[in-house]
Amino acid sequence: MRRGDLVLFGSVAAATVLFTLLPPFWAFLASSAFISALLVSSVGVVYGRAGMVSLCQVTFAGIGGWVVGYLGVATAVPYPVALVLGALAAVPVGVVIGLPALRLRGVNLAVVTLGFAVAVSSVVFVQGFPGARTNDPVTRPGLVAGERGFMVFTAAVFLVVAAALLAIKRTRLGAAWEAVRHSERATAALGLSVPFIKLSAFAVSAFVAGLAGGLLAAQLGFLNARNVEPVDSLVVFVIGVFVGAHHVGGALLGGVLGSFFPELLRRLSIPQDVGPILFAIGATHILAQGGRGLAEHLGRRRPAAGGDVVVLRPEGGAPTRHRADPGRDLVLRASGIEVRYGAVVALEDVDVEVAQGRILGLIGPNGAGKSTLVDVITGFHRPDAGSVTVGETVLDGLPAHRRARLGIRRTFQTERTVPALGAGDYLRLAAGGHLDRAEVVELLAFLDGPDPDTPVYAVDTGTRRRLEIMGCLAARPTFLLLDEPAAGLTEDESLRLADRLRQVPERFGVGLLVVEHDIDLVAAVCDELVVLDFGRVIGRGAPDEVLASDVVAEAYLGV
Amino acid sequence: MIDTAIASLTSGGAYALLGVGLVLTYRMTGVLNFAHAVVGAFGTYTAIVAFEAGVGYGAAMILGVAVAALLSGGIGVVMARWFAEEATIVRSTVTIAIFLGVLVVGFRLFGDTPRVVPALLPGVRLEVGTVTLTGSTLLSVGGVAVLAGAVAWFLAKTRTGIVLRAVSERPTTARLLGVPLRTLVVAVWAVSGAVAGAAVTIIAPTRTNDYASLAILILPALAAALLGGFQRVGATIVAGFGIALVELMGARIPAVARYRTVVPFLVILAALLWMQRKEVWDEAR
Repeated sequence: MRRGDLVLFGSVAAATVLFTLLPPFWAFLASSAFISALLVSSVGVVYGRAGMVSLCQVTFAGIGGWVVGYLGVATAVPYPVALVLGALAAVPVGVVIGLPALRLRGVNLAVVTLGFAVAVSSVVFVQGFPGARTNDPVTRPGLVAGERGFMVFTAAVFLVVAAALLAIKRTRLGAAWEAVRHSERATAALGLSVPFIKLSAFAVSAFVAGLAGGLLAAQLGFLNARNVEPVDSLVVFVIGVFVGAHHVGGALLGGVLGSFFPELLRRLSIPQDVGPILFAIGATHILAQGGRGLAEHLGRRRPAAGGDVVVLRPEGGAPTRHRADPGRDLVLRASGIEVRYGAVVALEDVDVEVAQGRILGLIGPNGAGKSTLVDVITGFHRPDAGSVTVGETVLDGLPAHRRARLGIRRTFQTERTVPALGAGDYLRLAAGGHLDRAEVVELLAFLDGPDPDTPVYAVDTGTRRRLEIMGCLAARPTFLLLDEPAAGLTEDESLRLADRLRQVPERFGVGLLVVEHDIDLVAAVCDELVVLDFGRVIGRGAPDEVLASDVVAEAYLGV
Repeated sequence: MIDTAIASLTSGGAYALLGVGLVLTYRMTGVLNFAHAVVGAFGTYTAIVAFEAGVGYGAAMILGVAVAALLSGGIGVVMARWFAEEATIVRSTVTIAIFLGVLVVGFRLFGDTPRVVPALLPGVRLEVGTVTLTGSTLLSVGGVAVLAGAVAWFLAKTRTGIVLRAVSERPTTARLLGVPLRTLVVAVWAVSGAVAGAAVTIIAPTRTNDYASLAILILPALAAALLGGFQRVGATIVAGFGIALVELMGARIPAVARYRTVVPFLVILAALLWMQRKEVWDEAR
């Protein structure tokens, strides 16, 4: 835990002790603040970390509260156990709701969660919560029966959850959430399953929200539909956007806004619904600034543009990833590939193959279908015909992340590194298994990378592009497809890159496929060239022959 | 069956109108506008309040539609001014915040109890065989027909329409060509707001019409737009009528009657499951 976080946790503990000295009403308000802070934290996971919009967090809380109420009425399960069971009950519900939106990009999760919130509210919650009709409130055990004791309990639950979320942040899963928020394509290219990552974020957030609901049920005795209305999910989400819910400090601030702020308005005789209006304006302002919440502005911890830096915890264990066996000469083969967009033919009967340890250059004018071919080989685009194989393994139908795990890695035309990670940690995430510091340093040195602790957002584009290549190499792939690696590099950088790429096959046992416009680089690096034009192969062979041929000159220069 | 189908036309038309508004703002300006229905509800309630205060019936309705247009245009200004370059998810998140803001402001101004909303064109009835079409139904279905025709004609035949299509496909290029992007975007928002105001006003007399319930009309609208893939106006219209029909058929079965609000959710679920047959990646490489 960083010093700032320790100070924050200490302050929360101290404030909680202070509040035990005040009248019970204040303890009640403080409990509410911690419960709200938990709800805001749940937004922090799904939106703040993984970048998805969920509009049913309070519904998850309602489910948690419902289960806690039911267990209180129907069983003798002690409250703390019921609390955890209630939160766990929200998880499968979250998974089922999240499933339909996982493979689609964008705001689909927002649509389905909003629908879910309204449906559950009008079908389940309006019928009343267990214990409410029979006036059978949730019993809190002796120690936390009073308002002060319960406040200490809610504070403890919040701190435990906050610490757990901080711990997750430093795991590969936490880094994967960051990656998926930044780019789903790049995440899949790292060999990570995008649906699993999104689902895990949604499930964790449902659990945290469910905890909040179980606490709320105990605080109030039992819930009613008014406590968990769909609009409350909107309020919690908007507060989360406003404060920066993925920070502990942001979540606490959200809790205070959700609990003490309305009380302040009440005392000032200001209508309480001013609150949500201010949150909406605040959230809009934060979004307009491109920021990730008030908490980032309050702490002076970070440079303006970058955002939060995630530091991965060192992992032990043996290497788990696939290692290329230099003795085996695998061949990556794409044969008869055809891709159509309606009437437009993007690729027509294209065959390419590259052997391990060789470098194949793929050239051709803009729109020739080069990147589409890379997409087809790496599983980002399903071809209309044709097949991709590695050795004896047929890759057709395998999703992108599975192909990456099989050792087929790629980079993109625009770099897709994860800005919030340190350079070394990015390599470790990309490696997909254990990568010790010596390997990190070696890789960074090989391609002129920055210091391992430098955050990715702090380095220039050219360095990020090289970092992306290093990340791929860190995974020890059998084949690596580079989509215009020299684009945007200076001539010197380009020459240096060419020099390094030439060493890659021998050093890493990789077969390279390089899409590139920089003819000098192509000529210097490649063992063989394939020329595409209008989706068809118009030439192939040794670089000097191909580059000297008339067909290629015509395709490029129109002469 | 025919009765049910006829009875569902008013709601269906309103869902279709709202859905088309969502599709248009999505296609033209790259925003999934969660504030769409609440803006319409705001307009409707302005009309009701004005009518109760003694403003003439027609004038009050026009005022309501105008307020919805202004409000929506205002959101368009915010989008064009501060969020022109942002990703769809960011801009849609902004509309969620605006949804909340307009909802809460409306609660304060209008309260949360249902009002008596005068039916539109109260005297008008059209008898076709054994079936009677009310003024609301005629307005709703007629509104859809006019809107669908206008949109198709506008996008295909007018210069501005073609420019708008260009904007939706390549915003930056359009701007470089000297297209007054901001003005156009704001205009799209205002028109879609006016349509939302009209749609919610048409549907309000036929159902529980407290302000929040009207704002939740965003759900059937989202479901319809989703079935249209946020692209196709025609499919969205068909989906709007279809959702209303399914709702009403459910409402006539006593056992499931009170679960009306679940229908849009189920449609959304089904549509999403259908859409994710194949994995979809962001377009940019």
